[in-house]
Amino acid sequence: MELKNLSIRQLNNLFVDKKAKPSELYSDIFDASASSESLLHAHLSLFEEKNLENAKNSDKRFEKGESTGLLDGIPIAIKDNINIKGELTTCSSKMLSNYRSPYNATVIEKLNNENALYTGKTNLDEFAMGSSTENSAFGLTKNPWNTDYVPGGSSGGSAASVSARSSIGALGSDTGGSIRQPAAFCGLVGFKPTYGTVSRYGLIAFASSLDQIGPITKNVDDARIIYNAISGHDALDATSIDNNQTNIPFDKSAKIGVIKELMEDGISDESRNEVSKVLENLKKQGYQIKEVSLPLIKLSISIYYLIAPAECSANLARFDGVRYGLRVEGKTSYEMMQNTRAEGFGDEVKRRILLGTYALSAGYYDEYYGKALRARKKMIDEFSNIFNDVDYLISPTTPTAAFKAGEKTSNPLEMYMSDLCTIPANLAGLPAISIPTGLSKEKLPLGVQIMSKPLTDLSLLNFSEIIEKEVDFNTSPEGLEK
Amino acid sequence: MNLKPTIGIETHIELNTNTKMFCRCKVVDTDEPNISLCPTCIGLPGALPVPNGKAIEYITLLSLATGCTITRKGMFHRKNYFYPDLPKNYQISQFDLPVGESGELEIILDGKKESVEIERVHMEEDTGKSTHSGTGRIDSATSTALDFNRSGVPLVEIVTKPVIQSAKEAVAYIEELRQLSIDLNISEGKLEKGNLRFDANISVAPSDSNELGTKVEIKNMNSLKSLERAIDFEISRQTKAFLDGEEIIQETRHWDEAKELTSSMRSKEGSADYRYFSDPDLPNMILSEMFIEDVKNNLPKLPSEKRNDLMNTGLDLQQANILGKSDSWIIELYFKVFDSTKEHSTTYNWITGELQGQMRKLDINFPPEWFSAELLSEIIGLIKENKISFTSGKTILSEVLQKNISVDEIASNHDLYQENNEEKIVELVKNVINDSEDVVQRIKEGEDKLVGFLVGQVIKNSGGSVNPGIAKELLTKELDL
Repeated sequence: MELKNLSIRQLNNLFVDKKAKPSELYSDIFDASASSESLLHAHLSLFEEKNLENAKNSDKRFEKGESTGLLDGIPIAIKDNINIKGELTTCSSKMLSNYRSPYNATVIEKLNNENALYTGKTNLDEFAMGSSTENSAFGLTKNPWNTDYVPGGSSGGSAASVSARSSIGALGSDTGGSIRQPAAFCGLVGFKPTYGTVSRYGLIAFASSLDQIGPITKNVDDARIIYNAISGHDALDATSIDNNQTNIPFDKSAKIGVIKELMEDGISDESRNEVSKVLENLKKQGYQIKEVSLPLIKLSISIYYLIAPAECSANLARFDGVRYGLRVEGKTSYEMMQNTRAEGFGDEVKRRILLGTYALSAGYYDEYYGKALRARKKMIDEFSNIFNDVDYLISPTTPTAAFKAGEKTSNPLEMYMSDLCTIPANLAGLPAISIPTGLSKEKLPLGVQIMSKPLTDLSLLNFSEIIEKEVDFNTSPEGLEK
Repeated sequence: MNLKPTIGIETHIELNTNTKMFCRCKVVDTDEPNISLCPTCIGLPGALPVPNGKAIEYITLLSLATGCTITRKGMFHRKNYFYPDLPKNYQISQFDLPVGESGELEIILDGKKESVEIERVHMEEDTGKSTHSGTGRIDSATSTALDFNRSGVPLVEIVTKPVIQSAKEAVAYIEELRQLSIDLNISEGKLEKGNLRFDANISVAPSDSNELGTKVEIKNMNSLKSLERAIDFEISRQTKAFLDGEEIIQETRHWDEAKELTSSMRSKEGSADYRYFSDPDLPNMILSEMFIEDVKNNLPKLPSEKRNDLMNTGLDLQQANILGKSDSWIIELYFKVFDSTKEHSTTYNWITGELQGQMRKLDINFPPEWFSAELLSEIIGLIKENKISFTSGKTILSEVLQKNISVDEIASNHDLYQENNEEKIVELVKNVINDSEDVVQRIKEGEDKLVGFLVGQVIKNSGGSVNPGIAKELLTKELDL
């Protein structure tokens, strides 16, 4: 039995029972990355040497029976848009290729308190803008199930790393599906918590009102353990909220809604079949299932591609070469700023900054950004109404399984469509999870997404665990065997 | 054709909170650059803003003091523009939901009360400070030094409606606003430190027109002198252009302190589109009824109220306005001395004239601790009762400011008490008349002026202790004039 294939709870039991040591797991994990990194390029930086000492300290704590909990000695991969003090935090951008953060993100502080270990920083679409991890200034990441395919994005490096067992779990960030979509593409669990329950302090912002940090793991329990560790109110983030969870039923008294609009056009048969399979299963167990309609979901991509770029156009304005990061000199300060931004940002980032700048411009605000805000508000109302009727909403996580690298890079709109099912949860701030349920005919994983109302994250995880148990998906990728 | 100018003023006041607006860095007053910084106020990636409650309280205080309606659900907006000393390249400000709206401020202009309508009172974070080498302008500088100590310091911006009609009125408005911010204890109110900075929007139009002319904004003014001169310059520039039939361009102009003229910075076409939008890092700012009530209860006496109180003692508006803008200990001293002397004008003159004059001479900002309202009241009382002369009063005041000694002791030591015994004075008068036969003769022949000479003789012979008024009265009687 290889340690790297185990769950966090199983590993902790072994450590506590002194049947295995964190340092053994640690070398197991780095053995895995030694063979997979050249193939996949999941990590942008690896912390092997740096964390060895910490792994040994974990050993000592377990020896003395003084471990600090379930995450003590567990190697976690961190998406490279989350700051770790003293480490490079590049956002996969040329702009920040030399940038070392002088402070820790709140989630890192929290994981430090748990004595979790870090494998390194993982690849992403530049500034988390993309759905395939192809928009990285440092090269793309490949899908461990089949290296011709993308791992999804933007947290593609995190997903590929967990899938390839070069980490036990990973942190990703999810603005429009960036945790759930790569988790689905790599046959993993991806959880985007209720907006505000995990601090964004130290997460390099893409779209502040949508961004949320969450775990990518092999199973629901691992996601729960990491979520419990990283969540909670943070005085450094004004949008952070008290994590006062509401319990909703997850046994068969729970009411399940299947979203009509996400079972129609634009969704592949394969993706639909996964949902049907899960629904059949739930029906057998005695759950009540009904079809529900959320008409505004059809507008979610339009709303998203006004709000997210608008916010990013301001969030990314700070990258100007003045104080840190790339600087490309010019004759005047303004010329330097222009040169820096022209050279530092990739095409997709520029596209979104331009879109957002336009949407906020005098004379266009009402027509674009203002209208998107109003539509978003209506969509939130639509969700609240639905949650009076049902406890959980089920849909596919993605319209299709993973696509081939290069397949959609020349068609941004088609790329945007791959986030159709995941964007609504970000717009409404809902907790949403993707759990792997089966394989496509190309032997690529497919996932099902479940959403619930805000602050019912733990019930959502409990309910997901019931589905997970029934589908019994094997998360070991076959691609790496080749 | 008669033209009338119309002016609106935007004032930024630096609040005197301990920490910055969106981080807990200390607000520092130093020339040493970049010593009070953190990830938030230098815009490091991933850092987030958390509002300073004290600053919001201060802005609410100013809004209430100017009679503004308080927005119960306010919002922070991002104002987007690129400048090297603006770390995020957007400034957190307020847009359509400011803290306060539609108020007014009473000002004193040419000895009369006027009211300036306030459009809005809102919060902003300050930028860092740029020092451009060479020309002092960013476009031509060979290098720019940046200091971010000021970055994120809370500012309140007060915008008037276009209702001000002259440079003098603008100055009176700023004087009043400055006093208000000091009285509310929300700012140091020091112009020389840039605690208050102002922009003016100026236009001219025919006197009989209901419409405003084309607006020109003047930036970069931080003294009352530059405000007054810049406005006067701009009014004459626009008036001349108007009369010459030239088009006045809507633009932003820069006040050049050295050349004493305004020059064009950018025209409307080239003006920035700030792309305001609600800051997604900051939830709506909900100001509860309770919070507003609490702030209201903390309102100190406003300058207009202080003026009214002072006028109730009998002072005129001008006096009340001058005294009202003095340090609070001076105003307190006035009320105490007035309470015991009941002499408003005399008390006012002694405090604003003699006392402050002597203190300037002694180069002290506060009187010594033994100095009290009672001391001053005693001096004023003795003069009123003719026990000492006005000149002696001044001597006594000067001494008590330097030595802890009683008024009586000084008066006795210097023999300053006046002789008020009539019999004694009559005797002195008679002696003088007897000794000055020729002068008396000339007086009787009509040289009235010489009476003063005799009065002087009486005082001289008394060693200065005779009240001149009484001496004159008795002389006149004795000479049978």
